[in-house]
Amino acid sequence: MKTALAPSSGTSKSFLGANEFFSSFSDKKSWEPEWLSSHRKTNWNLYQSLSGTKSKDDRWRFSPRSRFSYSKVSRLSSSSSHLSFKAVDESGVLVSSIEEVTRDQPDYLMNFQELKGPELGAQESFLLACAFAENGFHIRVGRNVRHTEPIVIDHTSPRSDEVAFHRNLIVMEPNSELILIERISSGNHDESGFLTNLTNVKVGNGAKLHRILIQNLDLNSTFHNLENFEIQRNSCLRNVSIQLGSAQARIETKGNLLETGANFENYALTLGKKDQLIDTRTMQHHLASNGRSDLVCKNALLDDSKIVFSGLIKVDERASFSDALQTNRNLLMSSDCEADSLPGLEILANEVKCSHGATSSRVDDKELFYFLSRGIHKSESEKLIALGFLDEIIQKINLADQIEIVRGLISGSFPKN
Amino acid sequence: MISTNEIKIDRDKGDFHYETNYAFDAGIGLNEEVVKYISEVKNEDEWILDFRLKALSTFLRKPLPTHWGSKDLESIDFDVIRYYLSKGQKPSRSWDEVPDDVKNTFDRLGIPEQERKFLAGVEAQFDSEAAYSRMKKSLEEKGVLFVGPNEGLKDHPDIFKKWFGKVIPSSDNKFSALNSAVFSGGSFIYVPPGLKLEQPLQAYFRINAENFGQFERTLIIADEGSEITYMEGCTAPKFETATLHSAVVELVALKGSKIQYITVQNWSNNVFNLVTKRALAEEDAEVRWIDCNIGSRLTMKYPGVILKGRRARGEVLSIALANDGQHQDTGAKMVHAASETTSNVISKSISIGKGRSTYRGLIQMPGHLNHCRNNTECDALLINNNSHTDTYPAITVKGDHNSVQHEASVSKVSAEQIFYLKQRGLSESEAMSMCVNGFVNDLIREFPMEYSVELKRLIELEMEGSVG
Repeated sequence: MKTALAPSSGTSKSFLGANEFFSSFSDKKSWEPEWLSSHRKTNWNLYQSLSGTKSKDDRWRFSPRSRFSYSKVSRLSSSSSHLSFKAVDESGVLVSSIEEVTRDQPDYLMNFQELKGPELGAQESFLLACAFAENGFHIRVGRNVRHTEPIVIDHTSPRSDEVAFHRNLIVMEPNSELILIERISSGNHDESGFLTNLTNVKVGNGAKLHRILIQNLDLNSTFHNLENFEIQRNSCLRNVSIQLGSAQARIETKGNLLETGANFENYALTLGKKDQLIDTRTMQHHLASNGRSDLVCKNALLDDSKIVFSGLIKVDERASFSDALQTNRNLLMSSDCEADSLPGLEILANEVKCSHGATSSRVDDKELFYFLSRGIHKSESEKLIALGFLDEIIQKINLADQIEIVRGLISGSFPKN
Repeated sequence: MISTNEIKIDRDKGDFHYETNYAFDAGIGLNEEVVKYISEVKNEDEWILDFRLKALSTFLRKPLPTHWGSKDLESIDFDVIRYYLSKGQKPSRSWDEVPDDVKNTFDRLGIPEQERKFLAGVEAQFDSEAAYSRMKKSLEEKGVLFVGPNEGLKDHPDIFKKWFGKVIPSSDNKFSALNSAVFSGGSFIYVPPGLKLEQPLQAYFRINAENFGQFERTLIIADEGSEITYMEGCTAPKFETATLHSAVVELVALKGSKIQYITVQNWSNNVFNLVTKRALAEEDAEVRWIDCNIGSRLTMKYPGVILKGRRARGEVLSIALANDGQHQDTGAKMVHAASETTSNVISKSISIGKGRSTYRGLIQMPGHLNHCRNNTECDALLINNNSHTDTYPAITVKGDHNSVQHEASVSKVSAEQIFYLKQRGLSESEAMSMCVNGFVNDLIREFPMEYSVELKRLIELEMEGSVG
């Protein structure tokens, strides 16, 4: 099911901004509740007013923005064909699609209108996802429910020349627990379009969410991933993000530690190859006291790949006794790769412990010598060193079968002897 | 401990003002006429006037860097500032010839005394022009040049013209363009090959007039294998209105030379201190920026080193102290442009009261180089609940032959430390002062003896009354 092709109105302007396109899109959505169509309209108007403003934006520093431009695609794909999961509606756990939820209970998702994006620069993607998202998943875990079996969601990329928008909402009610695995991949080589994924997560008091995202898209596709986490009193969110595929990916992750005792862990790894560009922007925002946040971002770079890591720790005036850490490690494994680090701190409270560290370095000659002297081929040695380097993040997945899968994917990315 | 009395005298050391009559005044506001007036008064060559006018148009064209810098920049009104004020064109060679009002100022700041004690040469700038400039005769005989920009460009063009405006082009940023348009005063120094200056040269910058902008220009060239230490100090009286200080400092360290540039900035709280400082280090050369920022309303200063020759080394050591109403926006830039170059940045900042300190860093290592290394450490100390600190480094590394490490931390003086010291009979503010001095101590040791004593004292002063 494909939406009609709309000609793009200018050379660099996206077809998504054309009036005719939006009105024909709205016509197809006439079954939707009033609030949703006005929500789409509002955000589309905001998107319209956004285009044309081309001032310097520090949130895009070091990133060639044109590589992420929506003017590269010319069709909107129906997103329902790019999402698959096992629907659940029992014992306090609901896993459903946004479309289904909207059909069954038109007003259930009305608070969509108040949800914010991570606001770390990709405002365009946020507004477009609000205006054009046709699907996404919704998970709600009821009060005191502990769901031990991991829930798996699969996103797939649309065909080349197409874009799909997913909008997801996860609500963890107080004292609930959940493990979520999101896999983002291309079904076959032809599926190399744009995928824009916007996720809002609310972790209620005392709740725990362990979320693992494994992105292994085709090396020609483009990925925009926007995540905004709201972490409440004494709750805990652990996010593990594995970025392996896509030609260019913009990852924006923001954790809001809204109430006292909130705990936010964000662990990310990237294996860059070919001419990949992985642009990661994160923020650990402490809004209340006694919060704890930890971020580790490890990147191994091969070939001509480029990684941008920009992380900000922001501690508000009232967020005393905050404990915030941030670590960025880049392993440069080729003479043409590039790593840009922008670790940042903005501290307004004084009873805090905050630190960040960033290092970029090559493979240690002594380590390599050790392998070589034992008869292990150079490329095999480098693979093992990279795997060892990234293992700190891989271990955070904490699920034996997924750990094996990720290790396999990473090993497969290295050239065979 | 130093008694309270002594501290009180010292705190106001720079805060006094003598009425002065100026012989040359370019009036208020900035336009082509002002630039032409300055150039005419100085009797400059045609090419310098062209350079100034070109820079003026760059200045007018460039926007303020508020998309990343402080919005406070918008409160500078370029139309009410006086861009050139001086009593005369030629600095005196003896303190006796210096006009009394100016001499009294420097006497009170202790400059002649320091000169006798430990300096090889001194220049004292009063508003736009140097009032006094003298260097030991023996150095003059050895070929060391220590002159103002006017004299430097006119009398020694073969030495200075080649490098003037080359390390920092006037279009580098809005304020370097402003300086290039209206520059006046400053030091042009040349050290001949192989000569190692044992004693430092010093410049002292004093703003005396209200609504004034000081735009000195410094160019230091250390020829092959030479060594020089240069120190600058700055003060101004506390006026109600904003005053602007916008300098351009260019250092050229030729093969195997060493330059050490020390700044102790203690402007009053109404001064916008927007300074561009950059050095070029050739093969085996070493440049050290030692930077201490205590005064001013807003300081934006990011000393940089372009490591152009193999094995060149760059270093920035900086201490910033931000009190109520102050924003110390400082940092360092290290551009590695040759293999085996190393750089080191150590920055320590202290925020007191509502003060805000910011570190901005830039490290660049292109992919075709080998064995470049950088180490950056920035530590921030917060004293009160409403103090503010930020860290914004930007690190770009290409290729697999270089390494960079960056670390930053934010902390406060712990209650245990204060308790421990109080138990041993210190008052709370003395205890706090001791902890803060401990925090910066390893950096202060890098300063020359006379300065480190002074610095420790200054930090004690600023700390006084800030706790409790």
